[in-house]
Amino acid sequence: MIHVLTKEDALYPKLLKQAPRAPSKLFYKGTLDTPLFESCLGVVGSRRMTSYGKQAVKELVGTVAAAGITIVSGFMYGIDATAHKVCIDSGGRTIAVMPCGIDYIHPENQTELYASILNHSGLVLSEYEGTLKPQMWMYPSRNRIVAGLCQAILVVEASVNSGSLITASFAKRFSRQIFVVPGSIFSENSLGVYQLFEEGAKLVISPSDILDFYQFSRLPQRRNFTQLALGVTEENGLEGEILSYLRREPMSLDELSRVMKMGFGKLSSLLTVLCLEEKVLEDNGKYYVN
Amino acid sequence: MLIKVHSISTVGLRSIGVEVEVNIMNRGMPYFDIVGLPNKSIDESKHRVKTGMLNSGIDFPSDRITINLAPADVPKEGSLYDLPIATGIICAFSGFDVPANSLFFGEVSLDGSIRHTHGAFLLSLYAREHHFTNLFVPKECVNEAAGISGLTIYPVENLKQLYWHLKGTVLIEPFTQGKLVEPDYTYDYDMNQIIGQEKAKRALELAASGGHNLLMEGPPGSGKTLLAKAFNSILPRLSEEEALEVTKVYSAAGFIPPGGTLIMKRPFRSPHHTISYAGMVGGGSIPRPGEISLSHRGVLFMDEFPEFPRIVLEALRQPMEDGVVTISRSLGAYSFPSRFMLLASSNPCPCGFFGYEPARCKCTPKQIALYKKKISGPILDRIDLFVRVPAVDVKELSSSREVLAKLKDSRAIRTLVTRARQIQEQRFESDAIFVNAEMTNVHITKYCELAPPVELLLKKAVTKHNLSARSYFKLIKIARTIADLENSTDIGLGHMAEAIQYRTLG
Repeated sequence: MIHVLTKEDALYPKLLKQAPRAPSKLFYKGTLDTPLFESCLGVVGSRRMTSYGKQAVKELVGTVAAAGITIVSGFMYGIDATAHKVCIDSGGRTIAVMPCGIDYIHPENQTELYASILNHSGLVLSEYEGTLKPQMWMYPSRNRIVAGLCQAILVVEASVNSGSLITASFAKRFSRQIFVVPGSIFSENSLGVYQLFEEGAKLVISPSDILDFYQFSRLPQRRNFTQLALGVTEENGLEGEILSYLRREPMSLDELSRVMKMGFGKLSSLLTVLCLEEKVLEDNGKYYVN
Repeated sequence: MLIKVHSISTVGLRSIGVEVEVNIMNRGMPYFDIVGLPNKSIDESKHRVKTGMLNSGIDFPSDRITINLAPADVPKEGSLYDLPIATGIICAFSGFDVPANSLFFGEVSLDGSIRHTHGAFLLSLYAREHHFTNLFVPKECVNEAAGISGLTIYPVENLKQLYWHLKGTVLIEPFTQGKLVEPDYTYDYDMNQIIGQEKAKRALELAASGGHNLLMEGPPGSGKTLLAKAFNSILPRLSEEEALEVTKVYSAAGFIPPGGTLIMKRPFRSPHHTISYAGMVGGGSIPRPGEISLSHRGVLFMDEFPEFPRIVLEALRQPMEDGVVTISRSLGAYSFPSRFMLLASSNPCPCGFFGYEPARCKCTPKQIALYKKKISGPILDRIDLFVRVPAVDVKELSSSREVLAKLKDSRAIRTLVTRARQIQEQRFESDAIFVNAEMTNVHITKYCELAPPVELLLKKAVTKHNLSARSYFKLIKIARTIADLENSTDIGLGHMAEAIQYRTLG
């Protein structure tokens, strides 16, 4: 069922209404209620997401969404889609703002995610009617809605001249808080993030940095850091050694076998077991501490 | 006067005996014709034989010569009948006896010399089966024909020599086995030249040991092709029986060069992805073996796997399952052996960087999905091992002494692989299979008993990674191979855990 929301409607998101050039009409699918718009965090980033970006979204968005903050993003593949997915997986609610007509699913191969958003009391929004296909100019215009809906946005990976920076500039104009996730100085995806940081964005290294801003009482611990301190005493032997290496840096089996000076067969068996115990995650051949 | 000379005709890999009947009548106008379904190259034999004989100073009869290639209803092709025809004409005209129990084979050149002709090995095979003891073959084919022992082989250099031999004045000296050249066991690439890529190398080791098919995925320039090229150096040598099978195919395809002998090295074929269906499977009106048969008992390396035309990829299904490919033509069905190992490599996406260097990848998810879809499920089902080959910083690694010292060379790996193969040979003595990869579910229940903790581990992995029933059995086969490499009778927890590393790429 498709519904229309006008600026005069009581349900029209208040924060968005205050933003300049707010859309006069919003088309939507899914569940619409006031609590959904109460605390919103926009998550934007590169389409060409790296494994690091994916890990960062999992770590940050997962906890934030579980705490009850609505995750708003643009339904594009890469960081956007991952943010929606992680949010749903952690039991949160999410809003997808589409750059195209409300009846059109873009990108087309994400129909599963689309259905999943709607099934988990999420919302799909667009300022366009029907099956209008996205044009180049519609993306920045969509980004203005993402920025308008949220109290803060989180930029995970962004290169210079990327759409994420457009969203960030809207957020700045609307005086929203901008959070950035630090990245490697060697990655192209860090350049935009670095630029935002220079301009005064706040660095985020743990979900509590974001939750503090929303004044949420439930403050989860800084997981990575506590684990780093506890890890070595907690797990001993080879397992512990593997985990301590992986905490420093995600590595492939080859790299790990090199630094640990360990036989390949034995190491790969150990990693399989660690994966099955979910202590370690594998993504594209690299291993991460969960 | 009617003379009969024996030769063969090869259709596919089957040889049948051909009697070359030569009749010379001194009645009527001079005439020379060949009957018995000859193709163009046999028909032209007339000119080669006549000119060759005259240029050698041998009299050519100016009578009515009729040649019949019996059985007359089997189509024949090739230039191998020149020598039998010339022999027949010389014997009929000069009244010599045709040597008994002899097969003749070879192409005549206009100057009377005998040229290299393909298929000499098939001639020897036929001779052994049908109790012919003497072979007259071109000199350059002697090594090939000598692949079968126990035959007297006469290397014929030219028609003059043949004439003296038939006359009985100067006999051709038979070829003695001692001259057979030593097979070449050197390899162009060695595993110790490959730095890093331990996982991929281990996967190749497993593939070699258990005969598993393998798919490597990685960005361009990461070393997939080099790995594949070095693969041959860790495969066990061909057994005598296998060498005969391989040589038979190569002989039929005309792939044994002049002077070549039995093929002792495992075949390694790497067809380009523009190959046609017929080139891959075999084809022609009288079919010749294609790449899958040329890699029989060896390796078929398909670089850029998804780029091959779909029809070529799908054609691999039956041969991979049955070890034999059957090509049907109006004249009949021809079977070629095709028990090969598939080694495939692919990029993760059309541009090649997805998942490895995400910032460089320019592909949309749709393009990537389409690219992955090019390899069909049934083909993936037939591949046991999957491994990622990321790019490595070779410069950094090659300067590390520690890394260099740990590199295993191909010979060391080959020793392990050969031992693992011997274990399998013993295990499957009473079964009709050779390697772990060929095990069916019946064999798996018989030979791969899993201790409860091992089975639990496997089931956990199946649930976690959402694997299919087929993957379940694939992992057991791989674990069996890993256990064999360690000379362990039981499949241990470690073996299974390592096997899980090579499950399908997500």
